[in-house]
Amino acid sequence: MARAASFGFLVATVAAAQTVDFNREIRPIFSDRCYTCHGPAQSTRRSPLRFDTEEGAKQKLGNNFAIVPGEPANSELIRRITAPSNSSMRMPPASAGPALNEKEVDLLRRWIAQGAGWEKHWSFIPVKPVSAPPVREVAWVRTPIDSFILARLEKDRLSHAPEASKETLLRRVSFDLTGIPPTPAEVDAFVKDGSPNPYEAVVDRLLASPRFGERMAIRWLDAARYADTNGYQTDAERYMWRWRDWVIGAFNSNMPYDRFTVEQLAGDLLPNPTLDQKIATGFNRNHRGNGEGGIVPEEYAVEYVVDRVDTTSTVFLGLTAGCARCHDHKYDPIAQKEYYQLYAFFNNLPERGNAHKYGNSPPLIAAPTPSQQRELQALEARVTAAKARFDALRPDADAGLRAWEKEVPPGTQWFSSRALVGAWTQESAPGDVASFGFLDKFTIAARVNPAGPDGAIVTRAKDEPEGAGYSVVLAGSKVQANFVLRWLDDAVRVETRDAIPLNQWTHIAVTYDGSRYASGVHIYVNGADQALKVHVDYMNQDFRSKEPLRIAAGLGTRFIGKVDGVRIYGVSLPAEEIGALAVTESLDAISAIPQATRSVAQQNKLRRAWLDQFAPEHVQSAWKRSLDVSEERERFAAALPTVMVMEELAAPRDAFILQRGSYERPGAKVNRNVPAALPPLPAGAERNRLTFARWLVDPANPLTARVAVNRFWQMYFGTGIVKTAEDFGSQGEWPSHPELLDWLAGEFVRSGWDVKALQKTIVMSATYRQASKASAEAAERDPENRLLSHAARFRLPAEMVRDQALLASGLLAERLGGPSVKPYQPAGLWKELSGGEDYKQDSGENLYRRSLYTFWKRAAPPPMMANFDAAGREACMVRENRTNTPLQALDLMNDVTFVEASRRIAERMMTEGGASAAQRVAFGFRLVMSRGLNGAEAALFANAFRYNLERFQTDAAAAARLVAQGESVRNAQLDVPELAAYTTVASLMLNLDEAVTRQ
Amino acid sequence: MISRREMLKSAAGTAALHTLLRADEGAAAVPDFKPSAKRVIYLFQSGAPSQIDLFDYKPALEKMRAKDLPDSIRQGQRLTGMTATQTSFPVAPSLFQFAQYGKSGAWVSDLMPHTSRVVDDLCFIRSMNTEQINHDPAITFCQTGFQLAGRPSIGSWLAYGLGSENKELPAFVVMISQGSGNLSDQPLYDRLWGSGFLPSRYQGVKFRAATDPVLFLSNPPGIDGATRRRYLDDLGALNAINQNEYNDPEIAARTSQYEMAFRMQSSVPELTDLSKEPPSTFDLYGPESRRPGTFAANCLLARRLAERGVRFIQLFHRGWDQHTNLPKQIRGQARDTDQASAALVQDLKQRGLLDDTLVVWGGEFGRTVYSQGKLTADDYGRDHHPRCFTIWMTGGGVKRGLIHGETDEFSYNITRDPVDVHDLHATILRTLGLDHTKLTFKFSGRHFRLTDVKGRVVNEVLSA
Repeated sequence: MARAASFGFLVATVAAAQTVDFNREIRPIFSDRCYTCHGPAQSTRRSPLRFDTEEGAKQKLGNNFAIVPGEPANSELIRRITAPSNSSMRMPPASAGPALNEKEVDLLRRWIAQGAGWEKHWSFIPVKPVSAPPVREVAWVRTPIDSFILARLEKDRLSHAPEASKETLLRRVSFDLTGIPPTPAEVDAFVKDGSPNPYEAVVDRLLASPRFGERMAIRWLDAARYADTNGYQTDAERYMWRWRDWVIGAFNSNMPYDRFTVEQLAGDLLPNPTLDQKIATGFNRNHRGNGEGGIVPEEYAVEYVVDRVDTTSTVFLGLTAGCARCHDHKYDPIAQKEYYQLYAFFNNLPERGNAHKYGNSPPLIAAPTPSQQRELQALEARVTAAKARFDALRPDADAGLRAWEKEVPPGTQWFSSRALVGAWTQESAPGDVASFGFLDKFTIAARVNPAGPDGAIVTRAKDEPEGAGYSVVLAGSKVQANFVLRWLDDAVRVETRDAIPLNQWTHIAVTYDGSRYASGVHIYVNGADQALKVHVDYMNQDFRSKEPLRIAAGLGTRFIGKVDGVRIYGVSLPAEEIGALAVTESLDAISAIPQATRSVAQQNKLRRAWLDQFAPEHVQSAWKRSLDVSEERERFAAALPTVMVMEELAAPRDAFILQRGSYERPGAKVNRNVPAALPPLPAGAERNRLTFARWLVDPANPLTARVAVNRFWQMYFGTGIVKTAEDFGSQGEWPSHPELLDWLAGEFVRSGWDVKALQKTIVMSATYRQASKASAEAAERDPENRLLSHAARFRLPAEMVRDQALLASGLLAERLGGPSVKPYQPAGLWKELSGGEDYKQDSGENLYRRSLYTFWKRAAPPPMMANFDAAGREACMVRENRTNTPLQALDLMNDVTFVEASRRIAERMMTEGGASAAQRVAFGFRLVMSRGLNGAEAALFANAFRYNLERFQTDAAAAARLVAQGESVRNAQLDVPELAAYTTVASLMLNLDEAVTRQ
Repeated sequence: MISRREMLKSAAGTAALHTLLRADEGAAAVPDFKPSAKRVIYLFQSGAPSQIDLFDYKPALEKMRAKDLPDSIRQGQRLTGMTATQTSFPVAPSLFQFAQYGKSGAWVSDLMPHTSRVVDDLCFIRSMNTEQINHDPAITFCQTGFQLAGRPSIGSWLAYGLGSENKELPAFVVMISQGSGNLSDQPLYDRLWGSGFLPSRYQGVKFRAATDPVLFLSNPPGIDGATRRRYLDDLGALNAINQNEYNDPEIAARTSQYEMAFRMQSSVPELTDLSKEPPSTFDLYGPESRRPGTFAANCLLARRLAERGVRFIQLFHRGWDQHTNLPKQIRGQARDTDQASAALVQDLKQRGLLDDTLVVWGGEFGRTVYSQGKLTADDYGRDHHPRCFTIWMTGGGVKRGLIHGETDEFSYNITRDPVDVHDLHATILRTLGLDHTKLTFKFSGRHFRLTDVKGRVVNEVLSA
């Protein structure tokens, strides 16, 4: 119905005398009105009759045929849809909706009379070469696009619009290609440019600008549901900005769209993948991750895979595959089984359903930026050099060690004190030390001589059973390590498989690597790494405790026996060092043992002790230097940004049809495959994500190129050729210009998926360059402007509304990429939702970065962005939403972002705009609107300036308050009432409809 | 099937002017049924109040104290990861005293002395149940009919379906308060009042206890109302020049949005200014109602919003997640909410507003009869329990003094008249005259509903 409302109106008027087009006119009726019970979904089909296939619709049923080609009067379908609504014959039954209207009945009747021709759904038919249709007004055509548009306009007797003014065109194309309006100087240059192709030169300049990548990335981030938080419950921060920067870079380097697709879906499976290709796979890790305590992990493990399948289907295939999660798709040829065959491509990574509540969840990789990569390389070189320097001393050093061994004074003891937090005995009361949390690395070592099988050895935890904190205890004579926030559901507990003996001294050590997993815990007994039993492996939140460190006590227990030699380190010591630590003999005692019979650990201890304390100065310093540099490298590497990525398990995980889509109800096992209605996977290829990704961009795939060009198209015309950019299935809207869509898709593939070339083709067209004023006739006959008799006129996306204010004011801090930033936001918005931490606004440059870098918290999106219809980033979104609300008005008038920008524009008006008020206003207007003022506007602004100036001169205090808004420093040279008056005028400019509209 | 709204739009044959506050939308919409309510106040108790300690009286539990919950009751029901590995499930009877009140004889615990005095105005549904066992999915389910983010909330469905009755206030207003029971309790999310795939003008507008009750409401320092008025006159005149140039109805629509913004600048402060309320009002709602941002103050504002015809008013009160330390925490929560909730019912009634205002009080699921963690003589905790919980409703065509549904002696399983979240949604829509199967919006090829593919109007609780 919505379909018929406007654009369809035109179609209907011209179609009356023509052949009925099955795909355009008949299938939508079947799909919307009949498929629920007579469609692809087997489970809800009420009879063998089905309208999604030709055989199904034309088969004999009982004594009748629903459709008798050429004979509407004998077709049961017509009888049924025209039966009275109270009749049991009536279709669709009253319970399933109203009767078909006259127009629909007439269409069906004529279609049958004309022979009831059938076609595959249009978007599943391969893209065929199309040539541009002939047109009458040949002179208007600049590119084949224009032929398609004009031919349709001529057919419908609508005229195209004249070309837009140069100012309008430059402003439009600058927003469209870079998200940033032109400066007055750029406008001047373009208007005055007398060269043969000034517009093409502008387009080339804009496509080459790094702003192009930022602009294109914005919509891709919506599609890829990119955000800076995990999205469930606590909604804590995650770090995917390296992936975001990869996207910007890919657009800027004009990466072909097929590579762009393959690398994001399966970069990790490419031969010898580069760091960038791995980062690219973050695309399918941008989905939300649930770290709420107490969830059933299996449930969310399924949701993540479902999100990947649904997002991938929407973004690349324009298919609503998600509908087939619980049952066969009701409208499109995707059986439930086929859904899970797709699912099987995406369920095979080492992930858990319970995501980390804080930060990135595995699988993840360190993703250094290019400058960090250089720094890392430099550090590696320093490590190698330091090691080499030490190794060069080695022959001498070894000789020195052998000489020193012979004269170690009796009773000399040594244990490593690098990174030592403290050393204690059983009697110690260490107090508030060794406060470690879940992201820290640490080591706890001690010697124990138990007289009983249970008791605390070292704890920093509540002194009660299962108390929160960390602890090393003896439990049933096994050495046990606990890291607990809340026992059972937020804890890690591991213990040795083997018991340690009673009544004798044993050295034990526990190391933890900050990974939040049991696999990051090692327990050593007498220097030997132990086989462990994992009791609980579900660490979610920080176990850091306010309790003191206790020796031989804690968790409500006391150690029975003796504890000694407690040493705690702020690093996770490697096995070799634990070995040395476990050696209790003094150095002279070791040296007294003949070298051949010493243990490796003993020899190690002796050597390390010598290098640490007794070697000649230059040897000691070379040794320490090599350790220092290695540690520095470790620290640097640990602080590198990470990104969540795709990674393939060696042994594929099974996939099953999930009945009703529920994790609890697995049915038949399925193998990886693509839906049968689409071309098959290449025979013999390994059935993995890489094959799937390559299949997507195979030119034989009827959907991928069409869906991609349509999404680009809607950036320039507000609406896609297929309005339902997310749905190219039978419930999607019929393309306004099907041949144009195919021409664009064909060109795109032929060009080698050249993204910049496609954008250029579109913006070079006469269609794009039209003025956006609707003629009275167009406004009446085609109010949605689907036929493009004039250019599209629509409100700027949220990002551009803010970015243009920053640019005009001179505040915009342009820098590509980096961690997300926190610009102005009213206080309390985070805190009032959670009682937890509030938004910590940045200062300085970070207040003025482009909006695509604004920190995106899913539970509380940036309010200005939300007010201006930005996508929520919870799930994939490929179509923009534009509304017009009073909240937008309040935001633009009163948000400090725009008040400060207005003041800065005012400062520019006063310092750069000339001497007179009229000149200054005109200057400001050009900054904001990229054009000159007309007379009527000038008069209104002049008046506005005058009364504001009068008012602020009378009330200087008010003026001072107004110009004090924002963090940037006010130009103190300027007269305050005057500045305030210009500030108000500038704000007026930023609030005009034209300022927030791309026209 | 075509949504009513789509139909109306095409019938009118006009491109819709996009506004947040279109008073005409409500007028244009023809209800499916005769509505019994014009607006809804939903007092959402976030975190899940314990039905066993408030309204679902189970005297037989005392005999079972500390004994393991019989398997015949639990029936292998899935548990949250918080208690799934617990080795025993000791039954924890409520520490609180229950009594019967009013003509209806409803049982209410001594945590709710004020509510107990208005029971004859309330309809208790003791047989609510949900599919979700964790907060985020459960509250998202309650608000949108689906456990994952992305669908429109109840209020935005209503704003879409019925529009606003007030030209100066949004159709859907949200207010949040922090419970004193559990300060670090479950967070909320903007999506709970988001519009999902509906146009964003239907999303809830949050009224905050801040200088700006609505974000960016106040003029910047130094700009007074008179200056703003002249500014808007200039804005209108300048936009009109462009209107002539472009012939685009969106330009006039934008100017009118600025005029509405201007009206909000006076209507919202007038609304949130409680200084003209008589002392008797504050006596009724309790002393907390003088403190902005409390549940009590929000209840009072809810009445003022209802008086002004706001369609859907939703309060969220956090702090009901009593996994441990329940007796102490729930006292705080009850103190926060009891008096003001009862006061709101009385206040609406005495002003004649209760007849066409539906009020709903409840959380996202219930709590377990067994103790999470240690059960002692005076302490216990309760985990999430999706199988049953209690809510109450009143006004707007709901039978008063009714108790609907029943649970077993453990308040574990429903024994009579189950009502699930979709049913509740269907019933809420029904009171507003809407057929939940017909209020649809086409997105991604599907005609979506608030009730997904389910929902049954609980006619038993409706008087009409």
